[in-house]
Amino acid sequence: MSENSESHSGPSAVELHGISKSFPGVIANYSIELMVRPGTIHAIVGENGAGKSTLMKTLYGMHQPDEGTITVNGKQVQFKTPTEAIAAGIGMVHQHFMLADNLTIIENIILGAEPTDNRGRINFGAARERIEALMTSLGATFDPGTNVSELGVGQRQRVEILKVLYRGAKILILDEPTAVLVPQEVEELFETLQRLVLDGSTVIFISHKLDEVLTYCDEITVMRQGTTVAHTTPAQVDRRTLAQLMVGSDLPDPSGRETKVGEDIRLQVSGLNVASEIPGAKLALQDININVHSGEIVGIAGVEGNGQFELCEAILGLRPKLSGTISVGGSELSGSDTRTRREMGLSYIAFDRHREGLLLDSPLWENTFLGREENATLTVGPFMKNRSIEADSRVIIERFGVLTPSEQVPAFALSGGNQQKLVVGREMASNPKILLAAHPTRGVDVGAQSAIWDELRNARDRGLAVLLISADLEELIGLSDRILVMFDGHITAELDPVTATPEMLGTYMTGGEIVTSL
Amino acid sequence: MKFLQTLSVARRTIFLSLGFMLVLSVVRLITNANDITSSGTISSTMRVATPILLAGLAGLWAERVGIVNIGIEGMMIIGTWFGGYGAWKWGSWAGIALAIIAGSLVGLLHALATVRFNVNHVVSGIAINILAAGATEYLSIIFFKGQKGGGESQSPTGKGGYGEFDMPFLTGGRVGSWRSPDILGWIERKHDLPLLPDLAGFARGLLSDVYVPTLLAIALVPLTGYILWRTRFGLRLRSSGESPQAGESLGVPINRLRYQAMAVSGGLAGFAGAYLSCVFTSTYRQGQTGGQGYIGLATTIFGNWNPFGVLRGAILFGFPTALKFRDEKNVPALLLVVAIVLVVVAIISFTRQKQILAMGLLFGSALSATTYLLVDEVPQEFVAATPYIVTILVLVGAQQQLRPPAHAGAAYRAGENH
Repeated sequence: MSENSESHSGPSAVELHGISKSFPGVIANYSIELMVRPGTIHAIVGENGAGKSTLMKTLYGMHQPDEGTITVNGKQVQFKTPTEAIAAGIGMVHQHFMLADNLTIIENIILGAEPTDNRGRINFGAARERIEALMTSLGATFDPGTNVSELGVGQRQRVEILKVLYRGAKILILDEPTAVLVPQEVEELFETLQRLVLDGSTVIFISHKLDEVLTYCDEITVMRQGTTVAHTTPAQVDRRTLAQLMVGSDLPDPSGRETKVGEDIRLQVSGLNVASEIPGAKLALQDININVHSGEIVGIAGVEGNGQFELCEAILGLRPKLSGTISVGGSELSGSDTRTRREMGLSYIAFDRHREGLLLDSPLWENTFLGREENATLTVGPFMKNRSIEADSRVIIERFGVLTPSEQVPAFALSGGNQQKLVVGREMASNPKILLAAHPTRGVDVGAQSAIWDELRNARDRGLAVLLISADLEELIGLSDRILVMFDGHITAELDPVTATPEMLGTYMTGGEIVTSL
Repeated sequence: MKFLQTLSVARRTIFLSLGFMLVLSVVRLITNANDITSSGTISSTMRVATPILLAGLAGLWAERVGIVNIGIEGMMIIGTWFGGYGAWKWGSWAGIALAIIAGSLVGLLHALATVRFNVNHVVSGIAINILAAGATEYLSIIFFKGQKGGGESQSPTGKGGYGEFDMPFLTGGRVGSWRSPDILGWIERKHDLPLLPDLAGFARGLLSDVYVPTLLAIALVPLTGYILWRTRFGLRLRSSGESPQAGESLGVPINRLRYQAMAVSGGLAGFAGAYLSCVFTSTYRQGQTGGQGYIGLATTIFGNWNPFGVLRGAILFGFPTALKFRDEKNVPALLLVVAIVLVVVAIISFTRQKQILAMGLLFGSALSATTYLLVDEVPQEFVAATPYIVTILVLVGAQQQLRPPAHAGAAYRAGENH
């Protein structure tokens, strides 16, 4: 720890000393030292599994530390529940949004702190007034009477922040808030946070994205393997040093290829139209034409919800198409079911590993077996060869560096990054010809990211055709051989990754036009 | 149909009821089956619908807090027994009170199993149904067997006094000893007019010769709406059914709410049972509920987890049964009603680009209409089956818009956020 923050007068907003926390079989945190000065954006960086979230849950009263002291604004405290943390002015914006979709924005915000008359009747007028005032100070514009289900990701996050502010929080904890945002939204988020800091709030910002930490934060505490290893400021470190502090090695780079794109077209989508789920609404996909050659990575950029999900589902045969053709290796797929398509060499890294990718309550070995039931080495007739499947699972776990005690633990026990590595490992294990990779490194730490990128590059060099859907624009630019931009169900632009910049992509992704053609 | 979606559920209920009355009015003029919209039929419908409505509300309270209550049937059975016992010992109001308390306790048992011990909601509910059937039989042997009029499978006749109610001036109720005029009754008898006598019959049915417990049950509809959507307690309760993690992270006592809501749910189911054993009849009989708890749960779904929707569903279920009770000659007219309703739903489906569904509905409609033209007498069983057939068809048409509480029935342990 450097001692430069000692010069500050007055108590710290948050001070943690010697915090340790262990769960059965795992030591999640030990000898944590953290000091957050009031009125700053304080970043806590570290790989997935470094113990950042555990630490923040301790601070927020979601569980109690085994050892150590917590001091808030100079007073030593012990939070038994989040309610007590909230009362002390601490608010948490969770990584997975804690919002009830079918309730309105107002209802979500006031829940647990409702303004009522003495008979328990909610004063919605007063609540709305207060929320609209907070919205103005945040620069948010939506009708607080609408259901949360109608909001996009960025807006949902704004609601989460409003929830915290509504409770009078002066110290905000944001757990990887930018993981789900596009660049423009990230910028807006930090504008919001800077406004809050100017108003006297303190922000604790958990991240593993070094660029945004270095650009926007005032101070940085680095965590590695369960403990704090350094305290520094953006002025004192550069990206490389910070990465080394975090992982003990260099940052991975998605780019680089020596081989050439193949001649044959592996996946051909032409004139594809797909109807929307909402009856009467405009088409979810309109006149989509995509060719992916062998050994080629075609990137799809786009704000989530512009048709990428429908595209993957249509290719996999999970969603009916209105017209158009989808062919794999020259043979048309109409009428063949998803199982047949997978056997033809299609593989899919799903958008949401919780919803589609994994059986959370099942052990890892069952999860790695999913979708590979036809694999002759893993089954005998209708029976599963459990030994072989478990051994196969261990191979995947090792090759992709999934951190887990064994292949017998349930999937929900893994951190998000490790879950993702497991999904990628499973999909690559069947040696696909075509891979639909949706956000393959979302919520994954740099170590795992580098491993996944290596696997993708190696497979590509061996001739794999990849359709890469990602919100990580550096990943898109670095890995792709061509980038297509999807907006509103159309492909609106095709860019060369050599000349494309994240800003250009961002403009196309939000429906903007760039005058100079490529 | 955009227009309908912009209305509040309460207004939509009124709008749909008016539409339905219009259909009935047309059918009445065609078939001369004047009884299908008479006040007698309507009040009879309300009597039949009351236990279904209460059971539906019981399902709504449970599912809104996030617990699937398959045990409503069992809680109703408990309600019928304690209702019968209370009515026999002290009178029907005591029976109702006792049944509500007993139902609440069984509701709490379901909560204990599902919340504290994380038992699968359906398993616990089914256990309660089996337990209730066995326990009441056992209790009957102890308390009713050997008593005058009582036995292993039924209670002695209860003391009456549930109270009936006629609205003065509109339906000829008494003010002191003077009998006021029956204005609605006078309109109702003008059978040659369209719609007007039907509406008068409808209103008169709701206001004359009504059991007070039925009025209480109907009053529970807006009351439930008020509590769930206007109070702090209600908002927290709904949050527990939508996303308990969200509530928990904001310090909402999810588990306590679940116990509270299940006590209410059980109490409502107990009330529903007591209605059968000491209002609708005056004796507890084994098997009296006859699956109405399940029908109630179906109205919870049919009503889109909204109290006014539940009321709508309960009436839909009650109407054909009431018709049958009154006069079987009405039943063929019901076929025509089904035919027209199916055509309407088919048109709606067609505008939503669900052509196949629309064709199916039209086919059903044609079938119904042909049967009406060719058949003079409809078998009784058809009448009993009608509400279920209609419900299945309507549910198929409406399922796009049904929106269950997101977390109902899912396992939840405090502190686990995966």
